[in-house]
Amino acid sequence: MSNRLLVLFVLAFGLLCACREGKAQDGRRRIAVIPKGTTHEFWKSIHAGAESAGRQLDVEVLWKGPLREDDRDEQIKVVEDFITRRVDGIVLAPLDDAALIPCVRDAVREGIPVVIVDSDLSWDGRVSFVATDNFVGGALAARKLGELLEGAGRVLVMRYLEGSASTMKREEGFLTTLTDEFGQIEVVSSNQYSGATTEGAYRTAENLLIQFADVDGIFCSNESATFGMLRALQDAGLAGQPRFIGFDPSQKLVEALRAGELDALVIQDPVAMGDLGIRAMVDHLEGRPVEARIDTGVVVITKDDMDEPRQRALLDPDLSILER
Amino acid sequence: MKERLRKLLPILGPFLGLAFVLALFTAIGPEGFLSSYNFRTVATQTVIVGLGALGMTYVIISGGIDLSVGSVIALASVITALVLDAGHDALTACVAGVGTGLACGLVNGLLITQLGIVPFIVTLGMLGIARGLAKYLADEQKVDAPTSWITDLMTKAPEPAWLFFAPGVWLLFALAAVLALVLRSTVFGTHTFAVGSNEATAELCGVRVTRVKVAIYALCGACAGLAGVMQFGRLTVGDPTTAMGKELDIIAAVVIGGGSLAGGEGRILGSLVGAFLMSYLANGCNLIGAPTFIQEILIGCIIIAAVALDRLRHAAR
Repeated sequence: MSNRLLVLFVLAFGLLCACREGKAQDGRRRIAVIPKGTTHEFWKSIHAGAESAGRQLDVEVLWKGPLREDDRDEQIKVVEDFITRRVDGIVLAPLDDAALIPCVRDAVREGIPVVIVDSDLSWDGRVSFVATDNFVGGALAARKLGELLEGAGRVLVMRYLEGSASTMKREEGFLTTLTDEFGQIEVVSSNQYSGATTEGAYRTAENLLIQFADVDGIFCSNESATFGMLRALQDAGLAGQPRFIGFDPSQKLVEALRAGELDALVIQDPVAMGDLGIRAMVDHLEGRPVEARIDTGVVVITKDDMDEPRQRALLDPDLSILER
Repeated sequence: MKERLRKLLPILGPFLGLAFVLALFTAIGPEGFLSSYNFRTVATQTVIVGLGALGMTYVIISGGIDLSVGSVIALASVITALVLDAGHDALTACVAGVGTGLACGLVNGLLITQLGIVPFIVTLGMLGIARGLAKYLADEQKVDAPTSWITDLMTKAPEPAWLFFAPGVWLLFALAAVLALVLRSTVFGTHTFAVGSNEATAELCGVRVTRVKVAIYALCGACAGLAGVMQFGRLTVGDPTTAMGKELDIIAAVVIGGGSLAGGEGRILGSLVGAFLMSYLANGCNLIGAPTFIQEILIGCIIIAAVALDRLRHAAR
């Protein structure tokens, strides 16, 4: 019995030692980067950006997401365990603007500075907030659509989710810019929400298109809403007819852009988010001043410029640095 | 001597498991694993599964199962947030949260006994109902609520500092002590074991099986409700998607702690130790930076090993 236990112990010990991360005995700084999830391309891009900044600045990047995606409690645990490990700094993309506050406050109390990326936290104890300026993203979409419609027409906005701060900023930026700069354009609908799933977005889009089949322009504020609208347009045989601008890339959306079913995509730069997040943290640790708000940039990509190198890199980020 | 050891083994089993995990990670030696800060962190992380496991121990001893606890935790956290947000004081919110759990448990118990449907199915139904209700009430979003002392229940820097643990951890310990006492020295406790060992015999001996069962599921629901209040305290928001799959962690804690799914066996202290074992395992894996899947595989192995040891013990008898 005790022999068997010993064997088990040795086995488990070996297994765990094998997958253990290196200890910081070389004196390099260790910075934890905590995404909202780990599977989505967007987070992998952030990882790639952080990793490359880490190599350039000679700091170790510890990457760990919540056990279950979109689980606030699990993300809190990840933060807590990094506090225990006494990392030098934490770069966090919080799943929730309120729920993560207590554990981030714990980190700061224990002397570990925190940089927030992607989505903000309603707390000003953070070093910096590194993210896309979503209002500007929406405004860029409005200008592009205004230009495509030559300043006149009927426009439809399908919103994403009530209470989702980033997409609401995009919609606000879009609508404000459209009414301010293009007085001739009429917004026929802007109160429908797609919901969190592609399926829900598809259904909402179908209903909207029945009501507004002759609409001239469409804007959707995130990837799933854009894809749901695209599917509904394809089904109704309307794809390519109204001018259509979406937000965030996916393989299907890039194909649609190439096929002319989508006129433009507003693209964020997650690689820059990871990169600038690490740089802000290192600057802070070395006592240099850090801006409280760092904009990682947002661009509009159309069919005409989608194959230029800079655009290419945003649509299909280079993740080779993550390969072992 | 050997006879005595055999009797002690079921009680010592979970402790041995915990010692095994602690020794394992101490040997690997990630930074901070044995620090008091980490002890405090792990204890706080254990509160929700621990509270759920207390009620689940009763259910499993009685030969039943409750798959709805994860969803009930989410529902209770949403209700607590809604009541607070409506301007009521924190105590009312806590009572509402626990009451929600109690109500869900009562419904479970009544459906099981009155309709004669097996607990697995009834509570599987409740898993969906409570989760859906939580999402409906929360409008499919998290529910923000004003700050109150409920949040302080789960803080790792408690006031006054001599408390050391978060108040929620003390609450877990106190409730565990009470429920262990009830299980061991009251008629209700004896009847719980009787129902789980042999329901027909218990009925013949004059145990009101229906009543006992309803009470057991209500108790389990109330524990889940309290866990929901604590979940709210930890998150500071009511979250309808929280604790997804937590029921399996809770059942695992009870099984590691010596509970038998066939009924008639289980210990409150064992379940508590089981909950700590799982927390330490997850914590240790995080600290050494092992990928998440290693942690999931390890927990799976531990569950099977715990039950296998249990079978060996029975065979030896």
